[in-house]
Amino acid sequence: MSLGEGEYLVVRGGALALALSSKGNMNMGRRGYVLRKVAGSLLTIFIVLLINFFLFRVIPGDPAKAGLKDPRVRPEMIEAQRIRFGLDKPVINCFKGQMVFEASLCAVNPFDTQLFIYIGNLFKGDLGISYDQKRPVADILRERIGNTVILLLGAELFAIILGSLLGLVAGWKRKTRLDTSALIFSLTAWSLPTFWLGILMFMLGSSAFGLPVNGMRTTGLTYANFGEELADVARHWLLPSLTYAIVLLGQYMIVMRASVLEVLSEDYILTAKAKGLTNFQILKDHALKNAMLPMVTLVLLNLGFTVSGAVELERVFSWPGVGLAIVEAVARKDYPVLQGAFLVVTISVIFANLLMDLLYTYLDPRVKAE
Amino acid sequence: MSTRKWYLTLVLALALIVSACGPAQTPAPTQPPAPQATQPPPRTEPPPATPEPAILRIGWSGAPDSLNPAAGLLSEAYTIYELTYDTLIGLDLSGKYYPELAESWEVSDDGTVWTFHLREGVKFHDGTDFTAEDMAFTIQFYKDHEEFPYLNTYTLNFEKVEATDDSTLVITLGAPIGNMESQVLFLYALPKHVWEGIAFDEAIKFENLEMIGTGPFKVVNYVRDQSIELAANTDHYLNPPKIDRVIFQTYESSDALVQALREGQADLITDVPQTTIASLKQEANITVQVGGSRSLRDIIFNVVPDDKCPAEGGVCSGHPAIKDKVVRQALAHATDKQQIIDVALLGLGTPGLSLVPRSLGDWFNSELEDYAYDVDLANKMLDDAGYKDTDGDGVREMPDGSQPLQFRFLIPSDIVTGAREGDLLKAMWAEVGVAIDVQVLEPDTVTAACCPAFDYDVLLWGWGADPDPAWLLDVLRTDNIDNGFSETGYSNPVYDQLFVDQSTAVDHEARKAIIWEMQKIALEDVPYIIPYYQNNVMAYRSDKFTGYVYVEGGLLSLDDPLSLSNVEPVR
Repeated sequence: MSLGEGEYLVVRGGALALALSSKGNMNMGRRGYVLRKVAGSLLTIFIVLLINFFLFRVIPGDPAKAGLKDPRVRPEMIEAQRIRFGLDKPVINCFKGQMVFEASLCAVNPFDTQLFIYIGNLFKGDLGISYDQKRPVADILRERIGNTVILLLGAELFAIILGSLLGLVAGWKRKTRLDTSALIFSLTAWSLPTFWLGILMFMLGSSAFGLPVNGMRTTGLTYANFGEELADVARHWLLPSLTYAIVLLGQYMIVMRASVLEVLSEDYILTAKAKGLTNFQILKDHALKNAMLPMVTLVLLNLGFTVSGAVELERVFSWPGVGLAIVEAVARKDYPVLQGAFLVVTISVIFANLLMDLLYTYLDPRVKAE
Repeated sequence: MSTRKWYLTLVLALALIVSACGPAQTPAPTQPPAPQATQPPPRTEPPPATPEPAILRIGWSGAPDSLNPAAGLLSEAYTIYELTYDTLIGLDLSGKYYPELAESWEVSDDGTVWTFHLREGVKFHDGTDFTAEDMAFTIQFYKDHEEFPYLNTYTLNFEKVEATDDSTLVITLGAPIGNMESQVLFLYALPKHVWEGIAFDEAIKFENLEMIGTGPFKVVNYVRDQSIELAANTDHYLNPPKIDRVIFQTYESSDALVQALREGQADLITDVPQTTIASLKQEANITVQVGGSRSLRDIIFNVVPDDKCPAEGGVCSGHPAIKDKVVRQALAHATDKQQIIDVALLGLGTPGLSLVPRSLGDWFNSELEDYAYDVDLANKMLDDAGYKDTDGDGVREMPDGSQPLQFRFLIPSDIVTGAREGDLLKAMWAEVGVAIDVQVLEPDTVTAACCPAFDYDVLLWGWGADPDPAWLLDVLRTDNIDNGFSETGYSNPVYDQLFVDQSTAVDHEARKAIIWEMQKIALEDVPYIIPYYQNNVMAYRSDKFTGYVYVEGGLLSLDDPLSLSNVEPVR
């Protein structure tokens, strides 16, 4: 049985109204649903935390020796560094290193092990001290995350809006030249390696437009006012942001197009056409809203990953963001920074996922919040 | 929402995005002004009072790890220390010592008491006077802290240091040494009033962001891992710079580094990828300078004798054939050093010979004769020694037929050309019936296998030498087998005695003779094969700045204080 426009609207509106009402069984079910989802998210975060903690200790090499290969470095220095980093403590009870089981350590106070010290500090908001920079990880990440978000958010928004529009148009004008060229463009854009496109961009951008190839600001410039600073950052921001936008654009356009095609094959679209609605009205009132659902999933997931930074991009443009911090930390065996960064990404992605779950119950009445 | 509202929101959002994406007007970075194409002024006017500041932008791919001279480990950190701090004695680009903070110095007859007469009127960057008291404090500071990775090792011979008056410093040694200049070369003069208040345990953690020193440049801005900006110290007593500022910018991507030079966003780059050199040389405004360095590549053989295997951590699993000198010498004959340089380095290196690099001046034993590349001779040597290929698989076996000459060859992954060199050696040594299993591993993993475990057959690695050869020659001493400094496990009492002799030889010629003898022994016993000495390559915009100092045959270091204080804008 297919739904006509009016009935369709009534069903959607009704479901929405019921969901939002503050009376009745639906609300208790909803609250329980939200609580269950939040609890599940917290549990997931904790499990990922544990996995990360042990994962970083599998990396070969001794972090106490980070950067100290030169034998002019005395063994006492390495030992002093080991104690300073808290690496002399057992990882967890009975285990000195990753695999080294020592029976003598089973009797050790479990709260004096690296794992529990780490978790305890987390609750205090202390993400540890960077082995390499010797200052709080939280400070490092705070600086870097801001830069990453500045870089990626603009590109994300641009790609989402343009990608959705292009996908919508391509899906509607299926099998026309417009559709084919849009498809080719987005497939190409999506499959371009980010670092390669980045290099191409800065080569063209610097020789043709004199845009800077490196960093977030021009060193040595003193800004007379905020406007000048904004302008300088914008010049540095343009090329990497455009690179990222192009790659994302391809992805969003293709997903949107596929989604639109599926929606347009539904019966209620045929009904809407039969009732004499204009193409624009059909697209806007029916196709767009329903086709956006998979896009919402993709968008929220991508936004969740935004804080992990685009590693390739930041490396190519020396943009001081989280991605670059992760690369540097891996090279320097800087566990605390890696753990901190991964924790932030985990929380961000899981939170985005949670948001998506909850949002879906509002957007899609077929999903019940029980 | 109604149709109109939807539409409006969409358009507004798009407008926002587009406006943010649009290129913006920017203030031009401060550069010398371009010549004006206007009418010349009717009267002769005096030149403008304040010209544009001359800023030299240097691009590199690394960054200093610490601004604290006591804690720094990376070469980039030392580049900055050299520019902001002075030492008693300096080293010029042709390898000669010259007076820096000390105007003159002399040593007592028994060689244990060194007296330095310091310059007067030298000031720190914050305006305070530099006196012998600061220098005495500094040296004592480095000496007291055993945890300082490098600077402490230079003070090991010092027994006592004191300032007898404002401009006289006396250092008393435990025993006379022949290389005093090289020991004070890196002891950067710290201001006592800044450092004396720091708690003992905090000294190595002190960030030292202000870097108050006496050098020709002073720090004005530092963003960790991104950039460091130095301003000229025009009051410098010896090398007052001619430019106003120097900015070191970190480029994570070497493509961006080269592009920046091309576009003039950088004036000098100190790391030039080999593959770009040919095309950079063709640019009219770019000069590519290739020169010497103190770095060398070495092939390390595991020759540790069984009775010297370290009790703690020693695995000593080396292949028995490698312990045979004839095998090592044959492999030396089978190594085509020039081919390695041509193929792996694109020609940017000089064939290696002694463990002491050629760039160390007369310490390098130029009378040595290398093992000529001669595959036939190598094959004959191995045949005569009994290593025959009994089963016809192309790989020789031990004389008693027990195991094939199959060696584990480890290469640390941070050597960019390492894999390529491994491939070349594999092919070369296959021609004399020796097979190697090449493995490229994390540097830490290679360290774990190397020393003091000695759990390998052959390694590929390298060294960056000090100006004084003693430090590098120390690596072949028996005493260093247990502490992990010795990579080869080489043990030769004659060599050990010679090392002791050179450390107390005060006369330059006498010391040089001993050091030459040590290199001869090392070449004969071949615990190392030195394929090449690396070149340094730097490139700069010749249309922007001029006056870089480079001495042909010397060390290439265009960012050395002697060079940077001589640079000025092209007019």
